[in-house]
Amino acid sequence: MDLFLHLWIMIFIYSIFAMSLNLEMGYTGLFNFGHIAFFGIGAYTSALLTLHQIPFALAFVVALVASGFFGFLLSIPSLRLRGDYFGIATLGFGEILRMVFQNEVWLTKGPMGLPGIPKPILFSYRFATLPQYLLLTMGLTIVTFLILRIIIRSPLGRTLRGIREDEIVLMALGKNAFHFKIKSVVIGSVFAGLAGVLWTHYTTFISPGDFTLSETILVLLIVVLGGKGTEWGPLMGAFVLIFFQESLRFLKLPTEWGRYLAPLQQMIFGGLLIFLMIYRPEGLIREKGEGR
Amino acid sequence: MSYILQSIFNGLLAGCIYALFAMGLTMVYRVLNFVNFAHGELIMWGAYLLYLFMGDPFHFPLYVALIPALGFTILLGLGMDWIVFKPLRRTNRLTLLIAALGISFFLRNGAQLFWGAELRTYGFEIKRGWRLFHISMTANQMAIILATLGCIIIVYLLLYRSIIGKAMRAVSDNLELARVTGINAKKTIRFTWIISSALACVGGILLALDTNLQPGMGMINLVKAFAAILLGGVGNVWGALWGGIFIGLAENLSVLFISTGYKDSIAFGMMVLLLLLRPRVLYGSQE
Amino acid sequence: MRKITYWVFIIVVISLIFLPPANSQETYKVGAAIALSGSIAVYGEGFKKAIDLATDEMNGKGGIKGKKLEIIYEDNKSTPKDCVSAVRKLITVDKVPVIIGPAASSNFMAAAPVAQESKVVMISAQGAAPALTKAGEYIFRVFPSDVLQGKGISDLCLKLGYMEVPIMYVNNDWGLGLKNVFVENFKKAGGKVLDEIPYDEKKTDYRTELIRATKGNPKAVVNLTYIVEGSVMFKQAYEMGIQTQWICGSAAKAPKLVELAGKAVEGIIGTYPVFSQETKEYQAFRSLWTKKYGDAKIPIFGEYNYDMVHLIAMAIDRGGYTADGIRKALFEVAKGYRGVTGDKTFDQDRGVGSEYGVWTIKDGQIIDYKK
Repeated sequence: MDLFLHLWIMIFIYSIFAMSLNLEMGYTGLFNFGHIAFFGIGAYTSALLTLHQIPFALAFVVALVASGFFGFLLSIPSLRLRGDYFGIATLGFGEILRMVFQNEVWLTKGPMGLPGIPKPILFSYRFATLPQYLLLTMGLTIVTFLILRIIIRSPLGRTLRGIREDEIVLMALGKNAFHFKIKSVVIGSVFAGLAGVLWTHYTTFISPGDFTLSETILVLLIVVLGGKGTEWGPLMGAFVLIFFQESLRFLKLPTEWGRYLAPLQQMIFGGLLIFLMIYRPEGLIREKGEGR
Repeated sequence: MSYILQSIFNGLLAGCIYALFAMGLTMVYRVLNFVNFAHGELIMWGAYLLYLFMGDPFHFPLYVALIPALGFTILLGLGMDWIVFKPLRRTNRLTLLIAALGISFFLRNGAQLFWGAELRTYGFEIKRGWRLFHISMTANQMAIILATLGCIIIVYLLLYRSIIGKAMRAVSDNLELARVTGINAKKTIRFTWIISSALACVGGILLALDTNLQPGMGMINLVKAFAAILLGGVGNVWGALWGGIFIGLAENLSVLFISTGYKDSIAFGMMVLLLLLRPRVLYGSQE
Repeated sequence: MRKITYWVFIIVVISLIFLPPANSQETYKVGAAIALSGSIAVYGEGFKKAIDLATDEMNGKGGIKGKKLEIIYEDNKSTPKDCVSAVRKLITVDKVPVIIGPAASSNFMAAAPVAQESKVVMISAQGAAPALTKAGEYIFRVFPSDVLQGKGISDLCLKLGYMEVPIMYVNNDWGLGLKNVFVENFKKAGGKVLDEIPYDEKKTDYRTELIRATKGNPKAVVNLTYIVEGSVMFKQAYEMGIQTQWICGSAAKAPKLVELAGKAVEGIIGTYPVFSQETKEYQAFRSLWTKKYGDAKIPIFGEYNYDMVHLIAMAIDRGGYTADGIRKALFEVAKGYRGVTGDKTFDQDRGVGSEYGVWTIKDGQIIDYKK
């Protein structure tokens, strides 16, 4: 039963993370490969604040603001870059941030990580047990989904999609593409931070090793596999991949095989990414009007 | 003072290795117009293949083992192109980037599967180095410098004194026009991959000789190679050479001032800065 | 809308696979989250041998109240976050009441809150950081805290006449903790710390740190290092022609270090928590080891792991197979217990005490250092 609950909690957390990336990547066409940095900023901020006895409600808000703020900072210089260079620049930013987490030991305790992160307490209700935490994540996932759905179906969302399709035309119509791109990145960063907060209070331990390239590839795969630019895509992708990953992790194998499991799983993910790019870049759930 | 001299020497050494990586990476970029994110894994596999052929069950001596190591790395590079990049030849750069990320991930974990995540070495006997002008250097390090020089000479001869080199330059300038004049684009592309993979392999082996082997060694050095080609101008082979040396020096000299933990992020930082500051890359013109 | 309900249904059904199966109880299961891969695996392989030795010995004598002891190993991959998930898996999936914890202090301390919160006992046989058992009353250690070793290293430097030394250390809880104790003691005794150089684990190239440490040619350098990192550093130091007296802590006192670094580690000196090798407990342990493994190359900390398994077995026997029972029983059974590594009575912080001796490497062998 514990495993079942754990699985769903992880699926929901990654759904939020994937939905946030989907806004940037799927709808606006911005391939932000450093997205994990905002997940990390949200996570570390909330972890550090709650470890210093700041109440969760406040820490939560500060974490989200921090993620959004850094998203804003990142977007200003890098959004001037062309598509693939934007991807590489954001990737670089993500790695630099991870190194900051790793080297600023006075702040983050570096590679040793921060153990004992407290469970969230909202309105004097402590979300300590698994079922309680599941409720929390499920609730926040639904909220995220609804908020993003409203955004996507609004004029803002249409503009973002316009940017993805043909930026020049959009600008000819009088829209300032740059401003909208920033909005997209900031909103995406805020929700990535939200996912980070949920994640860190669940695992109660955070270290720079949680924000490596592997995580970036994972969330990229989730969005691409599920179908980028769709509403249900990220959820679908999260379900398939997290299910796969977490069940492998908890499989009862003879210990000698254990060391082969992780790289094998990652190889499958890499191979899946390649396969998708060649044969089905639209992913599982196709966007409306994109039938092939 | 000898502290600074030693750092400069170490920087030049690292720079030689990065130059080899950068040259290979930029060649593929020239001819195929995208950044092969899996180049790092060619580097890493080159080094590990040598390790494989020198160990069980082959036990070849160094110079003999070099041949299959080079050969298989080249096959790996060609395979990458044929299986993944060729079908995607007509798509946009972003798809190629993601596919390359996938390959990189796949290969990196493949190495981890076979050899584990622990550090490995070639196991050569440790010898004391010499001291010249207050700088200590070992025989391995001399070998690195010589090998790099050798590769540079070979690359020069190939690119500027051979027909295939001319063809490469033609294809990178204008693929359609080159085809029209009868240049076999496919053969040229294949040849480019061969050289790129060979350079990666040699660089990887030299790197492992100087330090150790670990599955992550490709990724970190890819970024350094990428920063180098940005510095020297994308697509410019000699620019890549100087870019590599510069990055090596920058890294080793900067740790005189900042914490050693940030050494690897120097290259990342330079890459990000260059991307942000160089206007040319905004609209992707070549050369 | 129908399509979505269809999908949701499928999804819920598939995830129901993970409802728990029935549990069998023919053995007393004890969890072990040790490093079977990664940089600390060089220590972990030795621990496994020692743990297996103790387990086989117990089971050979009839087990605990007739039931056999079974160790469930989980690989902690030498990183803090994998330690956390290994311990979590042992608690949630295998449901063990007691866990043999990860080796390195940082890794252990990362996982300790998880065990403490789930009220599962976790013990360390090699964690030396002073703050190790701070996480709570379910966390124990059978290895002495570095508060004493820091003073030991400081005394050693002074005794050998090194009044000014730079200190290099692994940048984690163990290195940092030990470094702080050393610096405090050394300064108090009039010594001068020339430079403090932390370095990351798992790096392939330490030359920059080495250059910095040996700036000005100090006569001795204190280096608080592990096996793998130490082997890389000492080899590179040798190649660079660095001549200085290396002074290490207990984590480097391992046959594996000699194996990896060869002549580069000849002559290094270090401290370690000492226990007599003349006692009958030790002799019995050694002959048992030689009988099972064919050689007398006892890996570093092997004796501590052996004692730990015995303590666990006795605690299960006395207190029952529950976490609380084991926890209370540990105090009782350890009181006055003379293991291979000496007296294992737990103090109120759930740690043990020790004396410190000095080791060195001569002709490829680890021997006690005699001036």
